[in-house]
Amino acid sequence: MSSTATLTPMETKPAEHATRTAVSVNRADKIFTLSRGKKLQALAEVDLEVREGEFVAIIGPSGCGKSTVLRLAAGLDRPTNGTVEIFGAAPHELATQHRLGVAFQEHALLPWASVRSNIALPYKVAGRKVDDARVDGLIELVGLKGFEKARPKQLSGGMRQRVSIARALALSPDLLLLDEPFGALDAVTRRRMNAELARIWGEEKITTILVTHDVDEALILADRVVVMTGRPGRVRTIKNVDFPRPRDAATTRSPEFHELVDELTSLLDANDGDAA
Amino acid sequence: MTRARSIGMGIVHLWPIALLLLSWDAWVVLNGYTSTVAPRPWFVIADVFTGFADYVPSILYTLGMALGGLVGGTLIGFVGAVLVWWSAALSGVVTPAALIIRSVPITALIPIIARIVGYGDPAVLASTMLICFFPAFVFTLSGLAAIPEAGRDLFTVLGANKLQVLSRLGVLYALPNLMVSVRITAPSAVLAAMLAEFLMGTSGLGALFSQARSYMDMERSWGTALVATVVSVLVFVGAQLMERRVESRLT
Ligand SMILES: Nc1ncnc2c1ncn2[C@@H]1O[C@H](COP(=O)(O)OP(=O)(O)OP(=O)(O)O)[C@@H](O)[C@H]1O
Ligand SMILES: [Mg+2]
Repeated sequence: MSSTATLTPMETKPAEHATRTAVSVNRADKIFTLSRGKKLQALAEVDLEVREGEFVAIIGPSGCGKSTVLRLAAGLDRPTNGTVEIFGAAPHELATQHRLGVAFQEHALLPWASVRSNIALPYKVAGRKVDDARVDGLIELVGLKGFEKARPKQLSGGMRQRVSIARALALSPDLLLLDEPFGALDAVTRRRMNAELARIWGEEKITTILVTHDVDEALILADRVVVMTGRPGRVRTIKNVDFPRPRDAATTRSPEFHELVDELTSLLDANDGDAA
Repeated sequence: MTRARSIGMGIVHLWPIALLLLSWDAWVVLNGYTSTVAPRPWFVIADVFTGFADYVPSILYTLGMALGGLVGGTLIGFVGAVLVWWSAALSGVVTPAALIIRSVPITALIPIIARIVGYGDPAVLASTMLICFFPAFVFTLSGLAAIPEAGRDLFTVLGANKLQVLSRLGVLYALPNLMVSVRITAPSAVLAAMLAEFLMGTSGLGALFSQARSYMDMERSWGTALVATVVSVLVFVGAQLMERRVESRLT
């Protein structure tokens, strides 16, 4: 702000953003030690760079280490070899600054708290005043209006997932990690949630990593799709997705879209023989 | 509706008492005991109803001591468990101390307690607390140990500090367990209060029992035992209702 050398700050800022690296995973191995000294290699030399404001989807067969990659990025696990940096710092620092949003695969809602309090939890933990308008907005966004007072046990699996997405978005995090957030939803609700997520992402440009099994979903949402191999998980390919946004029904019906879906699906299939 | 049902179930569960009264009467009559040896239940019950005003102060005293000790002991056990959970260093101090105190028979401890905290009310209260703290300690610890991994992960990514993990997660996972401990210890709290009152002989059902015995008033002394049983059962049922409420609120 004190700098007077910059002529057009409005233009330089996005340019600077576009080059900043949000997530950087370098040759990360993850080896779990099981009982009786047995070892299980979940990840092998995973390289992944995510630029600030970028939306990256990870697809891969079940058990290939997608959740593990997210856990590394969230600072919940450390790589056995290699490094993980988030905005140039150790991953857990983002969490300490309350700048991280995670929607876990098993949604992790507090059973005693209402939908509303579950979504407001990040504010309370961060010691900030709950922004009621934003919480209301998020409840509406995930289609849970009228369920504000419901407790998790009164919700369906898909509704719980949506609460967990809303909670992850609550503080407008700098990094959003979504682990199969729409897994329990029917196709129609799923596409609607995809559209909502695309809209929010368009508005807030939150750097996002989405793990999904749904190739269409990955292509609707992501700038790049990372395809992982079977265990031990490696990055097999990274595909750029250049369809213009918003990607509506016209996009998903286009032959280019179908071509890419087929290509990625066959890459997933090819993985089967890859596991050791 | 569920409340009415649970009260109904409570009454159904009282059948052992009916059985007890009947076999008690049969036992007295068949053996031909005189009332100085063992009174028939009906006379004991009559004494309880006609002399109820004499029982009331003792009931209130014992109930107060039992509940006070129950709450106090449970709190101490809870705090102890939280300290152990919080720091390994504290765990090394608290856990052995809790185990040692728990291992000494309460009857042996009561005179010592009376020496330390003072004869009468404080000693009764302290003895009751002593009976209640250990289960609360153990149950709270197991509740804190059972915080789900997913909950911990969530609080980690939210950037929560340890105090927040404790207050927003740990305490709420430990609370249902704590209520189990309250239900289990509630009848023992009544027993411990009465035992201390009996040994101290100042007030309460325990003292009433000991006085009635020394006057050879068998109806009264058996009546005291009967009343104590009822009080104990009621405290237990109350604790059970509370436990269910907490359980359904938190899970
Ligand atoms: N804490 C752990 N201890 C031991 N092994 C683990 C642990 N976490 C994950 N694994 C193993 O690592 C591998 C990758 O697990 P991960 O959960 O990352 O897979 P995933 O790609 O997310 O699968 P899915 O699509 O089914 O969710 C699996 O074989 C799993 O058994
Ligand atoms: Mg997973």
